[in-house]
Parts: sequence; C-alpha cells; structure tokens
Amino acid sequence: MKRALSNPLALSGFIIIASIFVLALAAPIIAPFDPEAIDVKAILLSPSMQHLMGTDGLGRDVFSRMLFGARISLLVGIVAVGIATAIGIVLGAISGYYRGWVDVVIMRFVDVMLSIPTFFLILAVIAFLTPSIWNIMIVIGLTSWMGVTRMVRAEFLSLRGREFVLAAETLGAKDARLIFKHLLPNSLTPIIVSSVLGVASAVLVESGLSFLGLGVQAPQASWGNILTDGKEYIQFAWWLSLFPGLAILITVLGYNLLGEGLRDALDPRT
Amino acid sequence: MSGYLLKRLFWMLPLLIGISLISFLIMHLAPGDITSTEASFNPKASEESRQKLRAIYNLDKPVIVQYGLWMKRMVTLDFGTSFASHQRPVFWQTKDKDGNVSKGMIQEALPITLLINVLSLVLIIAVALPLGVISALNQNRAPDRAITLFVFIGFAIPGFWLALMLMYWTGVVHNWLPISGIHSLGFEKMSWIAQAADSLKHLALPIFISSLGGLAGISLFVRNGMLDVLHQDYITTARAKGLSENTVVYRHALRNALLPLITILGLSIPGLIGGAVIAESIFAIPGMGKLFYDAVMMRDFPVIMGILTIGSALTLLGNLLADVAYAWADPRVRRGVMQ
Repeated sequence: MKRALSNPLALSGFIIIASIFVLALAAPIIAPFDPEAIDVKAILLSPSMQHLMGTDGLGRDVFSRMLFGARISLLVGIVAVGIATAIGIVLGAISGYYRGWVDVVIMRFVDVMLSIPTFFLILAVIAFLTPSIWNIMIVIGLTSWMGVTRMVRAEFLSLRGREFVLAAETLGAKDARLIFKHLLPNSLTPIIVSSVLGVASAVLVESGLSFLGLGVQAPQASWGNILTDGKEYIQFAWWLSLFPGLAILITVLGYNLLGEGLRDALDPRT
Repeated sequence: MSGYLLKRLFWMLPLLIGISLISFLIMHLAPGDITSTEASFNPKASEESRQKLRAIYNLDKPVIVQYGLWMKRMVTLDFGTSFASHQRPVFWQTKDKDGNVSKGMIQEALPITLLINVLSLVLIIAVALPLGVISALNQNRAPDRAITLFVFIGFAIPGFWLALMLMYWTGVVHNWLPISGIHSLGFEKMSWIAQAADSLKHLALPIFISSLGGLAGISLFVRNGMLDVLHQDYITTARAKGLSENTVVYRHALRNALLPLITILGLSIPGLIGGAVIAESIFAIPGMGKLFYDAVMMRDFPVIMGILTIGSALTLLGNLLADVAYAWADPRVRRGVMQ
C-alpha cells in the first residue's frame, strides 16, 4: 500500500477518486438546492454565485444534480466491476485449476462472448429490461467478466507449475487450500489493477447508456442524463453539457491513473 | 497454411452458432415483443389482433422452436424480413414479382459504418504510429510526457460528450461543418468530387470521435512496444555494427515493435462496430449502430439477430485476418502454424 501511494500516478489518481467520493457522500450536506426541485422562475440560468453550474430546462440546480449524479457513477462503476470480477475469478480459477474439458467449455464460452460486439450486447439486454440503476450494474457486470476470467486462468496456469505450489501439493494440501491460500493471493495484483481500470470503463459505459436514455431515469440525476438534457439546449445553455462531461472525464482519468500507477508500483518486474 | 485457414474457418461455425443461441435467448428472456411495441403506437389494436400477429411471426411458439425456425432459414443465408419496417429484407435486397427491388436494411447500413471505421483506422495508424515512436525515442522527456498526457485524456474523454462539444463549436458557433446526416440536400446532382467533399465534411467529426480511443491506445501500445524492442540485444548489436540511428530505429526496432499491433487491430474490430451506436445516434448517421438501436427499441427480432450475427461474423473474420497477417509478417509464427 505504501509503495503504491508513493507512485505519483497512483497518488494523483487516488486523490482525484477520493475527492469525488467525499463530494458524492456529502452531497446532501453540500448541495445548495434539492436536485429534483423544479423552479419555473429559474429556467436555464447561466452559472452564477447562486447557481454555480447554472440551471437546467426545468430550473433545477445543475451543481446539486451533479453532486447527486456522482453517487450514481461511483456506485455503478464499483458494483458492476464487483460482479464482473467475482464471475471472472470463479470461472478463471475453475478453468485454470481443473483444466481439461471444463477449461475448454469455459474458454469457448469466453470466445463466444468476446465475439459479440460489446456495446451491442449491453444494448440488447438493457433495452429489454426496465431501465434502472440496478439493471445497468448487473448488465455491465454480466458483459465484462471475460477479460478477468482469461487473466485469472493464465495466472493459475503459470502459478501451478511453480515450486511453492508443487511443494504445498506434495505436502497433501487440498484443492480449496491450494486455491485460496496459494494461487489466489498470488494472482491478486493483476486482478486489482484490472478491476480499477474496469471501473473506469464501466463509468464510461453507464454514462453512455444514460445518455441514450437507457440508464438512470429522470427525475433522478446522473451525469449521463444531465448531458442528454444538455443536448436539447446546446445552442442556448453550454453549461448543461460542459460540466457533466468534465466530471466523467475527471473520474475516468482518476481511475485510469490509479490503475496504471498500481500496475507500475506493484509489478515486481519494473 | 491453407489447411490452417480451413481449420480456422471451420471453427467459426460452432462459435457463430453459440453466439446466435446466446443472442436469441437474451432477446427472448425479457418480456415484450413487436406486438407490444406496435400496440403502444396504436392503442386501438385489440388483444385478438395481437394474438393473430404473434401467430404470423411465430412468436407464440416456444423459444427453442423459434430458434430452430430461424436456424433453418439461416442455413440458406435467409435473414428474413423486418417486423417493424414494412417487411423490408433484413440483410440483402430482394425482388418481388413485379420486379420492384427492395433494398436490405443491413445492405444499406453496413457500408456506411464500415467506411467510418476504415477511415478511423487509417487516421489512428497515421497519427498514433509517429506519436508512439516519438514518445519512445524521448522516454521521460517533454514530448513523451505530453503524449502520455494526451493518451490518458484520450482514454478518459467520453466520446459522445466530445462529439456534442465539437458539434456545438464547429457547427453551431462557427458553422464550419454540417452537424448531422451523411449528405447535404441535392447530393445526387453534385459532381463526384463535390460528392466526395460533401461526404468527407459530414463524416469528419464522426471519424474523429470514433478514432479517439484507438488513437490513445495505439500510441501507448507503439510506445511500449518500441521501448521493449530498443532494449533487446539485437538493437545493441545493430548499434555496435555502426549502423545509423535511423536504420536502427526504423528498420530494426520499429518493424519488430509493430508486429503485435496486427493482433491489437484485429481485436479492436468489435469495439469499432459497437462503439458506433452513440456516435451514429448523435450525428444521425444511418449506420449499423443506429439500425441496431432502432431495432432494439422496436423489439424487431429478425433485425436484431441479423445485426448480431453479421457483427459477430465480421469480428471473427477480423481476428482470423489478424492471425493470418501476423503469420505472414512474422516467419517464426508462420513456421509454428505450418507444423
């Protein structure tokens, strides 16, 4: 952990993400207005001291909506990647540890899933479900586990041949002990790095889906759907489009910096 | 080599069947079909007429029977006709008995998406290669830092947001570029030069947007590949022989660093096809992404299945092409494949 935070990339990423987390958690305290309160006397006001990021077409305060939207982006990113990583670890571990026909079946399934253009797959599933934040998380999770599976499998395959694992096996360690005590802990670094980078892409996918109207539904705010509103008013109200995009950019940048930094810091080869 | 090719082509078949089965199940898992989306447009549609319609489209049969029927038609490459768009053929044009040709939906949409993707790939390679090389040759100096910053921003920037901003900047504020569609009015009457210029103007922003992520990824990839290769023994040997720095960098290092790029380009195909959905919907481009989005919204099953199947087949072909190109470029791999 210390080594990871002394890496400048990881540190700057960590600071960015931590600040966004604080803002999102403290949203009810910081937000100057109710994010869903409509005010017809304050429609499309440009940014001012009272409305830091202006107001939208229904007179709602964009800054307050941005703060609450941050909660959605962070939550979706983490839960979706949690689901994908869990599936990836289980399937990858089974594949890499037991090998044989189970491995063949799982790997061919991975091939099939990877051959379907990802965004089409997500779109096909999400459009058939009622759009909600929970469905978004589940669908992103269920369509992004393939990379982790391949990685965990490759780690297991290479670790299986190492002396310390052979030693444990010779001493009569059971499957579960080998997997959970020896193989999995030694595969954690690449799993952590890929999860952090995965959160970045999940945040992007969520905002894209919300932008298409398939994500978080109004009146609840998410960065993606503030942008969708912004699209309608782009000729008169640039602030509606500028701020949510910047927020997504900074969040994704933060996760990418953290992930790349962790990779540099934790990889013994560099 | 041809034996290897045949084997790979043969393996695509079970993969495609798997893909189609999964797509089919996903489609039918969720409630709703074309009759419910059409009924929402026409509230007068009675339950009885809906049932009749379901029977016509075979939607009343069990999923596995429907899949069987679909597969039976697929054997003759018959993708069927669209539920939503007046029975238009999904894939390729057909002639009715009066000799009227009705164009296939994918037939019209695919060339547009392919054109955008091929041009973005050209742009990606033309820009990312020099960036990656410059970055590697100046490791940890100012140019490298600047390019790395660009790479990180390129990865993080939401394409649809940049698209909106650029649309606003170039189309609304300055009126430089058209902001939607693929042709201006009166396109048919223009000379071919004017036609090409008009298309390019319409496609400039979409191409730029869809190449951004790839630009960042490939520059980073070329940089890291170059750095790896530059530390190899044979580069030291080349330098020790007294070869000029240019020969070392471009003949010895770059050519080897580029090899894995072939695989990366092959793997990026599904992203390019799928990533077009948002760009196409923003710029109102009638490509595969837009077609898919509309089909999904209407629960137009034959169109959804057609696009998923063709998109996946293109992806598999792309991967195969990448592997073949790799074997062609790298004698070590070629020998491995032959054995």
